[in-house]
Amino acid sequence: MKKTILITLASLGSALAGAQQAGTPPPPGRLLASNCFQCHGTDGRGDGTFERLAGKSASDVYGELREMKAENKRGEIMTIHALGYTDAQLRAIADYFSKQTR
Amino acid sequence: MIMPTDRRRFLARLAAYCAAAGVPAITLADDDDRRRRPRPGTQAPTLPVTGLSGRVVVVGGGMSGAAAAKFLRLWGGSGVQVTLVEREAAYTSNILSNLVLNGSVQMPALAFDHGKLASAYGIGLVRGEAVAADPVARTLTVATASGPRTLAFDRLVVAPGIDFDYPEGLATPEAQALVPHAWKAGAQTAALRDRIRAMPAGGTFVMTVPPAPYRCPPGPYERACVVADWLKRNKPGSKVVVLDANPAITAERETFTHAFGVTHAGVIDYVPDAPVVRVDAPAGTIHTGMGAFRGDVLNVIPTNVGPRLLADLGLANAARGFAAVDVLGYESTAMPGFHVIGDASATTQPKAGHIGNQEGKVCADAILRILGGGAPDPAPVTNSSCYSPITASTASWLTAVFAYDPATRTMKAVPGASGEARSASKDHYEDMFVWFRTLMGDTFA
Repeated sequence: MKKTILITLASLGSALAGAQQAGTPPPPGRLLASNCFQCHGTDGRGDGTFERLAGKSASDVYGELREMKAENKRGEIMTIHALGYTDAQLRAIADYFSKQTR
Repeated sequence: MIMPTDRRRFLARLAAYCAAAGVPAITLADDDDRRRRPRPGTQAPTLPVTGLSGRVVVVGGGMSGAAAAKFLRLWGGSGVQVTLVEREAAYTSNILSNLVLNGSVQMPALAFDHGKLASAYGIGLVRGEAVAADPVARTLTVATASGPRTLAFDRLVVAPGIDFDYPEGLATPEAQALVPHAWKAGAQTAALRDRIRAMPAGGTFVMTVPPAPYRCPPGPYERACVVADWLKRNKPGSKVVVLDANPAITAERETFTHAFGVTHAGVIDYVPDAPVVRVDAPAGTIHTGMGAFRGDVLNVIPTNVGPRLLADLGLANAARGFAAVDVLGYESTAMPGFHVIGDASATTQPKAGHIGNQEGKVCADAILRILGGGAPDPAPVTNSSCYSPITASTASWLTAVFAYDPATRTMKAVPGASGEARSASKDHYEDMFVWFRTLMGDTFA
């Protein structure tokens, strides 16, 4: 029984690897970060009226988002919005913007 | 699509050259493309070389369709041919269109053409109306000014928005001209503005809210506020009657309860549980389950339904003729290879432009993963946000985040991550225009 599960997992693993090889895998965090584009510009390159995120350090963006999430202040759009993402997702979002050119 | 190696190498070299030279990479995907050249001085993105190839046809150049087309190219690169089919020369934004009614925004400010999608992203534009699709041959037939055209696709994205189920009394164009819906921005918006301007002081504006789900949940209440605010200053003594088919305000309940009861107290009369039964357009009367209401200007927003195209393509398998989809990639549950996004899809998410843009991105990402031999992202997240004017100088906002729930296979609002502004303010009113500008830029440029 255990053996069957192992074999199944092994074949699933190679199937996933095969799928990734067929095309370039999308950068991690890209689809999550695209939730920010509507207000902060495509790839975070907004005109700066709402904060420009492209090229900011990942630790800065993650730190800000964590702070907003911790505040949980009713009536502030970003403190509510930040609650929609797990910490791992916030890290992936911050990492994505840090890799975009300003 | 299989590409000859030489051509692929040439395109890769072209992309690399374009990246170095700072000019947009253009793929000659379609006849229409060949006539297009990048406009000088246009800040254009560099399309990545992903190794992906395929043909995607997108029907409908509104908020979700335009975003899907743009991100298919921006993320998929020049090997993914994208053709956008649109019957109008330009999209007219529904967002901010209520501000036409009080003269704060003029109609031209709501027009967004698809020129940048063509010039900067190499998207083929076909002006015409999609009429039929062959799911086996994977072709779409489009009626154009120069006759029918057939477009081949690997994946079809359908984003036709909404249509209306008119109540008794509003079946004819004559009746519809007397009682504009102004719920698809355009000539109807200007017509309603002109009727309100011509209203006598001390008159009554009667409007209806359709049964949920409908496009832009806060929109009708926002309209009531904007019109009431304008009437107070320009037509003293006038009233606004809001006949809601729903049992209560469907969005930003605290904001609009305050706006109706305090900000516009004595002007707005809100009547819940009042679905429209019949409209007598010449007499100016709306008959509802809560009685008959007469007005000097009537605005009936009819029940929203799926456009006929959905039925014609075999996609109308949800209530009211909308399309049921798998929200991991918005693929139709009826037709494999066909995706339906935006207001035309039946999901747990609101029908609105900001989230429609995000559905376009999720759909584009899923199609690209599928073209690469993989599967859609198993944990998509979307968000709905919007600003609503409450007067000519103040606005409110709402926000909500949705995450995929594997148990129900639906998008579920993340607990705690939904809310509305504490009060309408001038700051929010200014932010509304920043939001509008960046949202439209993210969608059309």
